Amino acid sequence: MNGLAFAALSLIGDAAVVLQADEELLPEGLNIGFKPVPAIIVIAMMGLFLAAGVFYKVADTSDMWVAGRSIGNVENGMAIGSNWMSAASYLGMAALIALSGVYGLAFVVGWTAGYFVLLIFLAAQMRRFGKYTAPDFIGDRFNSDAARAIAAVTTFLIGFVYALGQARGMGLVGLYILGDPGIPGLSGYQAMMVIFMIITIAYLSLSGMLGATKTMVLQYVILIGAFLIGLVVTGYAGGYSTILPQLEYGMLISELSAEFSEPFVNQSYYVWIATAFSLIFGTCGLPHVLVRFYTVENERMARWSCTWGLFFISLLYLSAPAYAAFGTDLYSSEVQPAYGDPGMSAEAGDVIVVLATQLAGLPTWLVGIVAAGGIAAAVATVAGLFIAGSSAISHDIYANIINPDATQRQQVLVGRLSIVALGALTILFSLDPSAPIAALVSFAFSLAATVLFPMFFLGLWWEKTNRQGALAGMSTGLILWLIPMFNEGHFQIAPLGIEFLETWMPAIGSGLIGVPVVFAVTIVVSLVTPEPPLQTKQMVRQCHSPDPMPKDKTAADVVRERNGNGPTPADD
Amino acid sequence: MPDNTTHESERKERTVVTDGGRSDVEREKEIDYLNVEINLLKPGTPFMRDHNRVILTGFFLWAIIVFGPVTATRLAPDLMTQPIPGLGFPLHYFLIAIGGPGGALLLSVWYVRKRDKIDEKYGIEQVQAPETTRTDTSSEPAATDGGVDR
Repeated sequence: MNGLAFAALSLIGDAAVVLQADEELLPEGLNIGFKPVPAIIVIAMMGLFLAAGVFYKVADTSDMWVAGRSIGNVENGMAIGSNWMSAASYLGMAALIALSGVYGLAFVVGWTAGYFVLLIFLAAQMRRFGKYTAPDFIGDRFNSDAARAIAAVTTFLIGFVYALGQARGMGLVGLYILGDPGIPGLSGYQAMMVIFMIITIAYLSLSGMLGATKTMVLQYVILIGAFLIGLVVTGYAGGYSTILPQLEYGMLISELSAEFSEPFVNQSYYVWIATAFSLIFGTCGLPHVLVRFYTVENERMARWSCTWGLFFISLLYLSAPAYAAFGTDLYSSEVQPAYGDPGMSAEAGDVIVVLATQLAGLPTWLVGIVAAGGIAAAVATVAGLFIAGSSAISHDIYANIINPDATQRQQVLVGRLSIVALGALTILFSLDPSAPIAALVSFAFSLAATVLFPMFFLGLWWEKTNRQGALAGMSTGLILWLIPMFNEGHFQIAPLGIEFLETWMPAIGSGLIGVPVVFAVTIVVSLVTPEPPLQTKQMVRQCHSPDPMPKDKTAADVVRERNGNGPTPADD
Repeated sequence: MPDNTTHESERKERTVVTDGGRSDVEREKEIDYLNVEINLLKPGTPFMRDHNRVILTGFFLWAIIVFGPVTATRLAPDLMTQPIPGLGFPLHYFLIAIGGPGGALLLSVWYVRKRDKIDEKYGIEQVQAPETTRTDTSSEPAATDGGVDR
């Protein structure tokens, strides 16, 4: 880990390590300072999640990993919702809408509409395949450890990039609740971010063992409750709305300035499409989303719970634009004009949900609940991401490839080290984040869309996709993702700044170019190289059979039984 | 595995459609899926043909709901930014912010119900787990079989 952190440090160079002056990275207008009641709320909420985890622990080991017999549609839908709601949904989306109006809506669409694609093309088939982590699926489907390794590295990268946005959210909201702790050498934001990342890693070591669906249901109910209550009360107190702010904010839009309501003033049509495209197909490539379809009883329930999940997610996504509208209006009237010079800073935007409740004059405890929801979303998501990232390293790379004889002990050690490395990397890169929360998270979506989605899709829907195709496709995808990231300087080194690339392949929407290219490369290479073995093809076929399949069996098991010990010639 | 034979004969049958006297459902019952080529664009069985039709129709409608309004706004900005009477939303804003997620949700409901109907047509019954665990695991966690699967 030390080596990694060191490498990262030297990569950053002196530029980013120069610490921020206090005023920078502070959201203007936000009432920063230690607030006892919100602080207690945050602590109580985390305690509640842990307690629920402990309480349901036993139920979970059998439920989640063996059968998932007790998880119903609605419950699993809520778990999908809670899994999904990170600081990017809770804080970042309203932020982008407040900062960039109609362009921000690309995030509303991108983070919801993808579920339909997931539902029709991937959910049930993935469940039949029986592998539910990206590296496992890719390694087994394409019979290749190299492919497995690329998928594992991608999973690790997704976790890291995704976590950057969460860390930024924690730092900004933490600042509101606890104030500047005054750690020498660190600005208030930096100090809070570091503190909350350390808390997250501690939470992770406890909750990692407990990650129960029941806890996620509880998390969902609390998050959405805090978000919706805050919105309704803000709308009412601000005189904007009565009981349905999600529809009533419409009146406000034409009163806000052109930056908020007019299309394409902040970003071009092309960038809008590119962003939405990347987010949609990124959703379908995210490893931690696919896990949820494995916990239900059968495929029919996988489909219904995906639909319920979309419903629960939409509750938040239909409300965030209302928050943005109220917040922008309040900010313009009480702080300073939201657009123009200086305008609302990215930091203020990132806490617009909290800011709106505060500016509407809600009591501190209520603002605290809303803020606590943001922190809870960030902490829970980082915990999930880090588990996925570290298991990719310890299980898929270390135990599967580097040291096949690894003992449990060694694997756990590698897993822990990779969590610490992920945490350290995230902290380092979040000291001076290069973009708002939602934009940071969207980089992870571009990555998932470009590298993983084509492999899932082709792997399940075209049996002739082979190992060579997958390897070529994934390597191409990784390179295509890295180019705009370096070009725009998101890795804390000087941007290359090639303008043509920035215009046509922005990091925030690189999937629009990346996905079709990766599809093409994978298909062409698969066509010119030998077809995959029959066993592999049969596995794919098994994924599409309508015959019900026992939940404890994988497609590979079925194929093996049929070809080996099973009564082979018995087919009609 | 006689990979091609089943596939070919199946394909020939499909061109004769109804006059053979056997319905899709009957033919479907004879198919061994381990012998059917998987290609999204060439569904190999009656079930997959029915299912694919729903999937591709849904995907087409979805693409219009998701990318249509913003494209229309690009092409006819004046028309699309008119406020909607009553709600006050500019049309483009409403179609994107509420039509996008809402449309995807409605399409999902449409798809799962359609798919349930297809399952019904072909007599596909999903495996129901034995009604055992729900109450006992959650109420008295210590007493259950923990990691044992059945």
